[in-house]
Amino acid sequence: MFGEDDLVKSHQERADIILNIIVCCFAVLLARLWFLQIYHGKMFFNYSLENRLRKDAVRAPRGMIFSRNNILLTHNVPRFDAIITPQYLEGDEETIAYLAKVLDLPPDSIVKTLKKYQAQAKYIPIVVKKNISRREVAIIETESSKLPGVSVETFISREYTDKDTGAHLLGYISEISQEKIPRLRDRDKYDYKQGDFIGQAGIEQQYDLEIRGEDGFQFMEVDARGRARRHVTSDDLYSGVDNKSARPGKNVRLTIDRDVQLAAYHALDGRDGAAVALDVDSGEIIAMVSRPAYDPANFSTGLSSNYWNQLVMDDKRPLRDRTIQEHYSPGSTFKTLTHIAALEEGIINEDTKIVCNGGYRMGGRVFHCWKKEGHGLVDVVKALRESCDVFYYSIGNKIDIDVIYKYATLFGMGQRSGIILPRETSGLIPNKDWKKKRTGVEWQKGETLSCVIGQSFINVTPLQLAMFYGTLANEGKLWRPHVVKEVFSNSGQILKRIEPEMIHQFKISRKTLDLVKQSLFEVVNQPGGTATSQKGVGIQMAGKTGTAQVISFSADKIFNKCENQEYKYRHHGLFAAYAPAGNPKIAVAVVVEHGCHGGSAAGPVAKAMISAYMNKYYPSYQKKIIIQEQAKMNYAQLMEDNRVNPVPMVPETNVKDYYDELGKQVRSFSLEKSSQAQLGPVE
Amino acid sequence: MFNFKEELRRYDYSFFGICTAIFVIGILNLYSATHSQGVGHEEGLYKTQIIWFFLSWLIGAVVSFIQPKNYFRLAYPSYLLSVILLIVVLVVGHSALGGQRWIGFGPFKFQPSEITKIAMVLVLARWYSKASPDQEIGLKELIIPFLISLIPALMIIIQPDLGTGMLVLIIFFIITFYRKLKWKTIVILAAVAMVGATVIYNFGLREYQKKRITTFIDPEYDAKGSGYNAIQSKIAIGSGQFFGKGFRRSSQGALNYLPENHTDFIFAIFNEEHGFVGAVFLVALYIALFYRLLWLASNVNKIFDSVVVVGVLAIFFAHTIINMSMVSGLMPIVGVPLPLMSYGGSNLLTFGICCGVVTSISNARSLF
Repeated sequence: MFGEDDLVKSHQERADIILNIIVCCFAVLLARLWFLQIYHGKMFFNYSLENRLRKDAVRAPRGMIFSRNNILLTHNVPRFDAIITPQYLEGDEETIAYLAKVLDLPPDSIVKTLKKYQAQAKYIPIVVKKNISRREVAIIETESSKLPGVSVETFISREYTDKDTGAHLLGYISEISQEKIPRLRDRDKYDYKQGDFIGQAGIEQQYDLEIRGEDGFQFMEVDARGRARRHVTSDDLYSGVDNKSARPGKNVRLTIDRDVQLAAYHALDGRDGAAVALDVDSGEIIAMVSRPAYDPANFSTGLSSNYWNQLVMDDKRPLRDRTIQEHYSPGSTFKTLTHIAALEEGIINEDTKIVCNGGYRMGGRVFHCWKKEGHGLVDVVKALRESCDVFYYSIGNKIDIDVIYKYATLFGMGQRSGIILPRETSGLIPNKDWKKKRTGVEWQKGETLSCVIGQSFINVTPLQLAMFYGTLANEGKLWRPHVVKEVFSNSGQILKRIEPEMIHQFKISRKTLDLVKQSLFEVVNQPGGTATSQKGVGIQMAGKTGTAQVISFSADKIFNKCENQEYKYRHHGLFAAYAPAGNPKIAVAVVVEHGCHGGSAAGPVAKAMISAYMNKYYPSYQKKIIIQEQAKMNYAQLMEDNRVNPVPMVPETNVKDYYDELGKQVRSFSLEKSSQAQLGPVE
Repeated sequence: MFNFKEELRRYDYSFFGICTAIFVIGILNLYSATHSQGVGHEEGLYKTQIIWFFLSWLIGAVVSFIQPKNYFRLAYPSYLLSVILLIVVLVVGHSALGGQRWIGFGPFKFQPSEITKIAMVLVLARWYSKASPDQEIGLKELIIPFLISLIPALMIIIQPDLGTGMLVLIIFFIITFYRKLKWKTIVILAAVAMVGATVIYNFGLREYQKKRITTFIDPEYDAKGSGYNAIQSKIAIGSGQFFGKGFRRSSQGALNYLPENHTDFIFAIFNEEHGFVGAVFLVALYIALFYRLLWLASNVNKIFDSVVVVGVLAIFFAHTIINMSMVSGLMPIVGVPLPLMSYGGSNLLTFGICCGVVTSISNARSLF
């Protein structure tokens, strides 16, 4: 048991070496710990925060859109999507199988969806099923332990009170497509994320940045499987963590009146076309309808590709807003312009008369009047009232196309109105330069003849047509049309008010105005007018019909009945009007595609809109008109009965004087009698 | 003859004392690491660990009353036993984490590789004490002790448990180095080891083992896959900064970002909660233990005892430095627990027995 001491002592050297090695090892280790904890400590601390904290987007509620009378036109409804965050997905097959069962989907489709997004970062959630039911939401939430990585995301989708009535005007929102994100980020200087919704048409697009609001974020403490543990608020443990609440989007109040809008929409039932109504004294758009339409709500709930394809493939192009994105030949509604230009330029005057025998010969060609047998003796009022083509051909023979261009431009045609809505088209009013530039060929005299009756090159949007008649009604003030009245916050504070803007004002001589206005009044209210069938009670509409040829027919077919043609070759029917004639408030333009006749197809739409508007906003004025009309009839009856010298029935000068005169006479009658008469049959 | 009072008077409490201090820190840390798991089996693990602690210390205490000469006698039988157990585990062992490491005894699970470490120390000490006193160890003398170590090491490696297998070889190397391994031989061995490592890496390693090495070199390469632990561990340690986040304030462990946080990665949780300051304190405790062991090794009067103490030091030190290095990203991730800190009954028992052995040797030292 003794004697090994020396041997043990002789190992002292090795023991010292081992001790040194141990100390060195720990020195390296502590250096490493110093490097991690002190040198890079802050960085790793932030990593650990990011690890445990998930930044969840809190989506801002989108602003709402109201009508001019504060009726809600579109609002938000929640929608739930099942999402998978691949980073946290565990036990892939089992989880997917169970999820498939819960969502009633084939497991393959989930796998396919996951594969599709394989390339992107694993922490980006993938939508597995959109629009899941509340029951499915409940199952996913309660069974979260069986479904690691699966969660429910709430989205805000849009609902539109009147479905497709305002489809084009209000537009729609849809999920931003992945490819477009970088471009849109550039354009809007806004950090778009996958899953964001943006307005894609109409007001939703144009005012997107204001309606959208600002998404906030909320930090959640999550474990390594992505299961949320709790909401995190800034306490000392999380210094520097700040949640941001979402800022709701701003609301928009439109100039649109819902009743007029609905009236227009329903009047167009079964037709394709467009209708626009304007306030003549401000350019406010009261109604704006395009058909066929679509249900914009479908886009925000995750449009099925079927529905989308159907919309895109449809020959009738339901996605297009026909009021501003489509232009039409104005047909005879354009004669009003020719008429004004000719009167103003002295080409015709109140005494001008021509004889129409159904055709006008120029050069070797015969230009036909729509009335085969001719209108006979035509004066300036009858010309417009009965829409005599030959009268205008004779003007066209004398007038320069550049003069037409000048007046059309003054009335706002052939140029973008500047309405704040996306993708407005300009229409076209030709002049000599344009033709030369465009085709290299000089302007032909014959072309002017086509243009003066609103055919050939001339194209206008329904909105421009309404602006034209509105500017005529207010006697030379061209207003910038606008559809948004105010932008206001949730607390009701007005953030932005769009004031009426006058583009320009120009002078039209009194004589011209009186003549044209009287003619337009007679179009509707005088026997022989092209729209007498649309004479309504108490709306005192003045307007002009038009038909626009879709294709030109050979001479022998011109007089074939339009209704006998194949649908796609039928003429478009147009009607442009303002009312009431004595004191215009509203201007309307209606296009009914392939409607054949302006008066019978488009007229009723205009009449419905004007009636709805007058009923609602000027009931007393309307009552007065009704009384006056009734009184007029009673007066005529009285004259008949008493054989008194009749007051001339047909106004000789102009509508206003006529009513002034009439008013004096009416006042001389007892009011009782008039109000009694009001109850009687009117037409 | 056995005077219990006398025994206790000269009983060396230092080893059990230091180890108990480390264990107390360990158990608090284990409680902190597992307290907020909320789900699964991990909650309450610290209680099991406390039971293991008492059991191990009891066995360790018993061992400490065995005379060192009996260890000398037990050397070969314990070695044989450990080899047999390793064979058994390969045939009928329980698998965990992709390896067959455990044998079940009723409710207990036991890792035979733990016994191997102690048996190895004893058998090597016996072998080296037999050789002539002034003999330095060259290549020729190395053959038999190397084979003695290699057999169990290979059996552990094919379980597969690369970490423990390597550990056995490191223990062998430290002991041999202490027993005067020639410098020339060390150079030769280093060259052979490098060539061997290259060959083994290319032909001998399983895919996941290779992956551990590649992810060690570039953990970000596959942050969610095999590099995940390495990165999360570094985040845990680094985020502790100087003073740590505080007791029970670990987020990496509590929220399960760092898997295995109660076993191999317990040191990362400790660093996260107690920062650099805590780490220095803990390392100081370990160094105190190692220093005390080395002092004892140089102050016993028998070469067998001296080598056994160095063997125990090798077991403790190799575990500690490998675990701390891998957790802090200095080494590839291999499954080596941190002595007295990591959860696990078998290794706690090993360290208890080790303490018993060295205490016994220390006590016997003053018996003249």
